[in-house]
Amino acid sequence: MTVRQTHDRWWAPWLFLAPALAVVVTFILFPFANTLALSATDATLLRPGHFVGADNFVRLWQDDRFRTAMTNSLLYLVCVVPVLVTAPLVLAALVNGSTRVLGLLRTAYYLPVVMSSVIVGLIWTNLLDSRGLVNQVLDWLGAINEPVPFLSDRWLTLFSAMLVTVWTGLGYYMVIYLAAMANVDPALYDAAAVDGAGPIRQFLHVTVPGVRATSALIGLFSSVSAFRVFGEVYVLTGGTGGTGGQDITVTMLIQQEGTGLQAETGYAGAISVVMFVVLGLLLAGQLWFQRRGEAR
Amino acid sequence: MKTFRYILPAVLALALGACGIGGGETDDSTTTVSGKVTGEITFQTWNLKGGYADYFNGLVTAFQGANPGTTVKWIDQPPEGYQDKLSADAAAGSLPDVVDIGPEAAFTLATAGMLLDLSKTDPGAQAGYLPKAWEANHFPSLGGTYAYPWYLNTGPSFFNKALLQRCGVATDALPATFDALFAAGTTMAAKCKSDATIVGRLPAIETFGAYGVPLMDAQGTKFTFNDAKGVALVNHYRDLYQAGGMTEETLNKLQTGELDAFKAGRVAWLPGSSYTLKDLKATAPAVAATVAIAPQITNDKPNMYIESLAVNAKSKNTATAVAFAKFATDKANQLAFSQQAAIFPSATGALDDPYFTKDDGTPEAKLRVESAKAVSEAIVYWPAAFSSKSVDYLREQIALAVLGKKDAQAALDETVKYADGNLPK
Repeated sequence: MTVRQTHDRWWAPWLFLAPALAVVVTFILFPFANTLALSATDATLLRPGHFVGADNFVRLWQDDRFRTAMTNSLLYLVCVVPVLVTAPLVLAALVNGSTRVLGLLRTAYYLPVVMSSVIVGLIWTNLLDSRGLVNQVLDWLGAINEPVPFLSDRWLTLFSAMLVTVWTGLGYYMVIYLAAMANVDPALYDAAAVDGAGPIRQFLHVTVPGVRATSALIGLFSSVSAFRVFGEVYVLTGGTGGTGGQDITVTMLIQQEGTGLQAETGYAGAISVVMFVVLGLLLAGQLWFQRRGEAR
Repeated sequence: MKTFRYILPAVLALALGACGIGGGETDDSTTTVSGKVTGEITFQTWNLKGGYADYFNGLVTAFQGANPGTTVKWIDQPPEGYQDKLSADAAAGSLPDVVDIGPEAAFTLATAGMLLDLSKTDPGAQAGYLPKAWEANHFPSLGGTYAYPWYLNTGPSFFNKALLQRCGVATDALPATFDALFAAGTTMAAKCKSDATIVGRLPAIETFGAYGVPLMDAQGTKFTFNDAKGVALVNHYRDLYQAGGMTEETLNKLQTGELDAFKAGRVAWLPGSSYTLKDLKATAPAVAATVAIAPQITNDKPNMYIESLAVNAKSKNTATAVAFAKFATDKANQLAFSQQAAIFPSATGALDDPYFTKDDGTPEAKLRVESAKAVSEAIVYWPAAFSSKSVDYLREQIALAVLGKKDAQAALDETVKYADGNLPK
């Protein structure tokens, strides 16, 4: 085959790329462009709508529900991400080994990951309900006079949802850390042991630096999923967003505004765009800090 | 050739983008119905296959027999997500020819020109239905009527006598007014605290109607339930909550949560339907054994709910769809259906049937006869223009008012503003 012939078959790379491109264009680029376009219209589910410029964004600014949703999603991120970056690492260090018991523990911790978020939510709803197991145990121990309103108080509901997110995320991130820890040179542990470092010092001075890149990656992943939280809050609040809608998150607000016969797709699109921008800024900030840390 | 390699992806992208754009806004809703009753139509019901498949198969067979050349394809949708199914069908332009629908969904679809306007296409049909039922599908702001009334439901109050007695409320005269209800709730709160309460959920828009609050102006262009009476109702709930007569959990409960709490023996009052007694006997026999039935609590006329059959304005066989909708909602077929399901017919004269007027002494017959009397004077309080999004917004705002985080007047003002904002422009 000559060089000339190769140039003539310019379409060959497109042919190979076509299936993947079709998926990307259909399910990512087109919905994204459509959302951008919708956000500047007053479209509803049943009406294409008209161009309204930045009206939807001005309305967002004045919408109490959006402010509540943004506060809850940001709080979720601030509380959940540090736990999901650190706790799975500790857990991975504890279950890292080849004994059968450790294998069983690893499986047990990973089990919530394979469960659907709805099932997980239902389990926790039954546990945290005012007549659920947790309240009954607390009552039996004489620790409470009235049931703790885990699922009706604004902040307790949000923290309960965070607990569920952490519970399900622990196993997933633990497995990622275990893979990262397998790449840490065992000689470093031997050297640390020779220097008199015990298990805690070895963990702090060998394991933690050894998996720093993985921690950064987990920070990125968990930030995105925490800010986009939906299933846990939806199930724990029965789809209502909590008492007075005080536990609604940004994703739930998009779902509420963008679905149903009265869906305001234009407004829901505007919320999605804001969410995209916030997440983009957040990820850019994290990457910037990470690179600055590496440069030092 | 070089240019083509860039043009191809660009054209593909534009073509894909175009998929989401367009859609004509032609209005077929006022087309006069004419033509032969023939061809295939689809008929969609909501959660009726489980118990009434034989009735509907018989209905379809009878229609096809009476109209040779017609085929009715019956589809039943599960109870969960019916609105989502309607939304998906409406957005895709694949709404069934005849749809089982409530006034609120009908209003939204009618606003988008998707339903046949019967006041123009079939003005004579009105005489065949109870006036209140016909009015429920008449939308003043749109100037038309968009569905044939089908079945109605209303019901009395169900009280858990054992619970009332345990919490210090006399059961010889059960609450019949809102004032009596709140007084009983306060008494229960003093004795039982949050272990047992009288109400199981926050007031809905129809509660405001039954309380005597004017919900909308006559033109259907503005909501009005933020008046002094509406505020008073919310304040009653706030006072009850602060006295311990409602749990915080209650503030987040939907209708199903209220029913579950009543069945579990934690709530003493349930605004029920004619189906409630049968359901309680089957699923909560202990509660059913102690239940007392009393007239619906209202300061005005009783409330009722309605399901109707709407015809898709873009149906390919409109004449057949209209004929089937009228056939399914005629007196004979409504009577037959109401004798199988615990519902009430909306066809003129159907409630005069002995089935609804003769009490054979059984609790079910007593309940049916009493409820049928209520139907004849009941009102569909829920304004069709009050969307499900407004329903959620109202519940959230009232919850904030009851918690004391917002003034009742401000909560209702904001809900009215929100609901007005959702009205068609």
